[in-house]
Amino acid sequence: MVFPSPSAALRHRFERRSRRLEAAREVRESLVSLAGLIGRPVHDGDGEPLGRVADVVAHWNTDETYPPLSGVIVRVGARRAFVPASRIAAVGQQAVTLATARLDLRDFAARAGETALAAQVLDHQLVDIDGARVVRAADLYLATVGTVVRLVGVDVGFGSLLRRLGPARWRTRPTPEAVIDWASVYSFDPDAHHGRGGVRLARHRSELNTLRPAELADLLEDLGRRERHELLELVEPDTAADALEEMDADQLHQLLAESAAADAASLVARMEPDEAAEALRGLDHADRAAVLAAMDENAAQRLRPVLEFRASTAGGEMTTVLVLAHPRDTVADVRRMLAGQLEHVVDLDAIIVVDEDGRLVDDISLGELFVAEPDTRLSELIGPPWPITVTADTGLREVADRLIDARRLSVVVIDDDDRPLGRILADDVLDAVTAGRRWQFPRAR
Amino acid sequence: MTSPTITTPPRPAMPRRRWWRRVLLAAAFAGPGLIAANAGNDAGGIATYASAGAQFGYQTLFLMVLITVALVVVQEMCARLGAYTGEGLGALIREQFSLRVTAVALGAFLVANVGLVVSEFAGIAAAMELVGVSKFISIPVAAAVIWALVVYGSYRYAERVFLILSLAFLAYPIAAVLAHPDLGAAGSQLIWPHFTASKAFLLLAVALIGTTITPYMQFYIAAAIADKGIGPEDYPKERVDAVGGAIFADLISMFIIVATAAAITTRAPLASAQQAAQALRPVAGRFASQLFALGLLGASALAAAVVPLSTAYALSEAVGAERSVGKSFREARLFLSLFTGQIAIGAAVALIPGNLIQLLVQAQVLNGVITPILLTYVLVLANRRTLLGAAANGPVFRAVATACVAIIAVMAAAVLALTVAGWFGVG
Repeated sequence: MVFPSPSAALRHRFERRSRRLEAAREVRESLVSLAGLIGRPVHDGDGEPLGRVADVVAHWNTDETYPPLSGVIVRVGARRAFVPASRIAAVGQQAVTLATARLDLRDFAARAGETALAAQVLDHQLVDIDGARVVRAADLYLATVGTVVRLVGVDVGFGSLLRRLGPARWRTRPTPEAVIDWASVYSFDPDAHHGRGGVRLARHRSELNTLRPAELADLLEDLGRRERHELLELVEPDTAADALEEMDADQLHQLLAESAAADAASLVARMEPDEAAEALRGLDHADRAAVLAAMDENAAQRLRPVLEFRASTAGGEMTTVLVLAHPRDTVADVRRMLAGQLEHVVDLDAIIVVDEDGRLVDDISLGELFVAEPDTRLSELIGPPWPITVTADTGLREVADRLIDARRLSVVVIDDDDRPLGRILADDVLDAVTAGRRWQFPRAR
Repeated sequence: MTSPTITTPPRPAMPRRRWWRRVLLAAAFAGPGLIAANAGNDAGGIATYASAGAQFGYQTLFLMVLITVALVVVQEMCARLGAYTGEGLGALIREQFSLRVTAVALGAFLVANVGLVVSEFAGIAAAMELVGVSKFISIPVAAAVIWALVVYGSYRYAERVFLILSLAFLAYPIAAVLAHPDLGAAGSQLIWPHFTASKAFLLLAVALIGTTITPYMQFYIAAAIADKGIGPEDYPKERVDAVGGAIFADLISMFIIVATAAAITTRAPLASAQQAAQALRPVAGRFASQLFALGLLGASALAAAVVPLSTAYALSEAVGAERSVGKSFREARLFLSLFTGQIAIGAAVALIPGNLIQLLVQAQVLNGVITPILLTYVLVLANRRTLLGAAANGPVFRAVATACVAIIAVMAAAVLALTVAGWFGVG
């Protein structure tokens, strides 16, 4: 847009700004603050006060993005009565108006699949999936969409907390400054005994699985005990296993120790062997044996050799996922082998060539393989640079020094007879070397 | 084999630092319970216990036994809350009480801890005065250094130095034995209640409660247990740590009282750190002042960082900014401003001219007055079956815990009433 004069541009900007403010005001007026609504009067159709709002109940086990209200708990004297949504004419910022004059004074009893918002969601932990963070609800916003009142957003602003501390007049006025759309919020099941599953969880499952492992690990560390287990059960086991690899060691050990052996085994089996061994090392003997016993035999076999070595030696930190080939194999053969190991591809940066006795001959990087012709035999690729090797009892410091000297990305761990046992990647060494450097809150030493 | 191409922080695992590693290993084995309870033996604690010994001799020993019972009960409840919910007290209070009631709790906690920070800086100043440095130099420098160490992340190393310095106070039990205390008097005072009905005794009693059952320790133990992920399965082990830690910490406190009571017989309020240091004379001879200064500096500097950090953490947790704190400290605005504010206020108040040792004791009185407020929250939470299920307080435990909290509350209320009356010239 071209403006004839600077003042016209200014005027245009001013108009746009005031239109925006107008829109913001409209939104603010159509939102109902849940924290503000608690304690406000409930009127009957004629405007006569019947009682006060004690809580607002919403359908929880629903596949709808924005949970519809199922009713309001009204405090009349010392009693708490439930008014179903069908009897409510309007939910406003200042009051709830009923469509009927009659009030069924039966005491409220919680029903499965419903949640009292003020008691069980407000001030509790929620997961903001888009932002990949744990938040605490400072306020919840309701809005009337068509004829149905729905929970539409959660406020996490500090300002809203201050507003709730202030006089009653402030409390009812929404201050939507830091609001998260309810569509991207994962809320926990307030009643663990509801039983897992249900349509609500199904909707969230796919969203949670889009989180990166490191993000998921952060979420798990920030959550309370019950919430942590709920979240973990919800994500795909593979995603969960990746997240566990990123978790703080203490927390991870506790998480595994308090999971059922079968659950722990299925998670650990999906972790990379070096990380899995690290996780198992933190458990006591009985727990570790139980987890290994519950594990698929293949996975357990990959772990046992690593577990025999001490932590922070080459043997204790290596991954046992190796692709072994013989000099007579062709590049195409190796590619087929690699295709079968796709899940471990982050732990593979080279393949190992062994002779007939299983002794190490060479270590051929994936780059070399990539540029070679499919029918080339590996024997033609053997040559310098020769692999760097260490024995299983080498300290990690020395492994780091060897990596630096040779400018390679991994070293091969061999036994006394030159047979390859595993591989240590540069990133594992980095983890070990920088372990003390990550900022940790000094309160829990 | 060394490599010049990479720079890494010195790691404790290097062989020539083996002794260092051993100390750290011991610290690592010390569970949250032991660490939390022994945080009570900080600068304020030393000053208060020494004051008690100097002013009332062995008379406060029986009180210390009662306080130990209360401390055990309280620390156990907090440990249980942390283990069964996986959340700190700040978050629990926010979830379980209305926002206004939460604000009262956290406000009280903040005030108590700013009081503690004041006392830590007073402790640093008292230590530095023993070696001839004016507090008008030592306090601003210490505040700046501690702030920078924490914010720029080299705190972890400084912390170890402070921790080792504060081990100087392990000399107290030895001093208590070498000083040949009047065992008969100490023993009878230990098992037979002796209360003096004076305002000074009441004030000191509340200071003793405040420094031994500090609100800070309750938040610390719950948060540390939640952080470490200790759960219901491991709780029996953790309970041993919580109870044992509380008892151990109070034994040390009683040794401090006995050592000071034996060494200083003026039976008047402590006038200076110089005087308090005399209690260590049986161990350190003419170096008693220096040893006392080292210990006081270590303990104070350690707590001057950890107390504002935990306060900021608990408040951020209750507000709902958990994540930002753990990940990127410098970007957490609320956290950083809470931390900075406490250091600034603490240092500024400690600069007000006056008797440093008495300032230390007064900060503990403030804590003692606030303690029952927060203990009430802890008690209500630990009683709640909806929160803890079968792990909630049973009837007997509930009765004992309620009695402890009630007695502390009555004493705190009395101190408060006397103080307010004092403002109006009564009493």
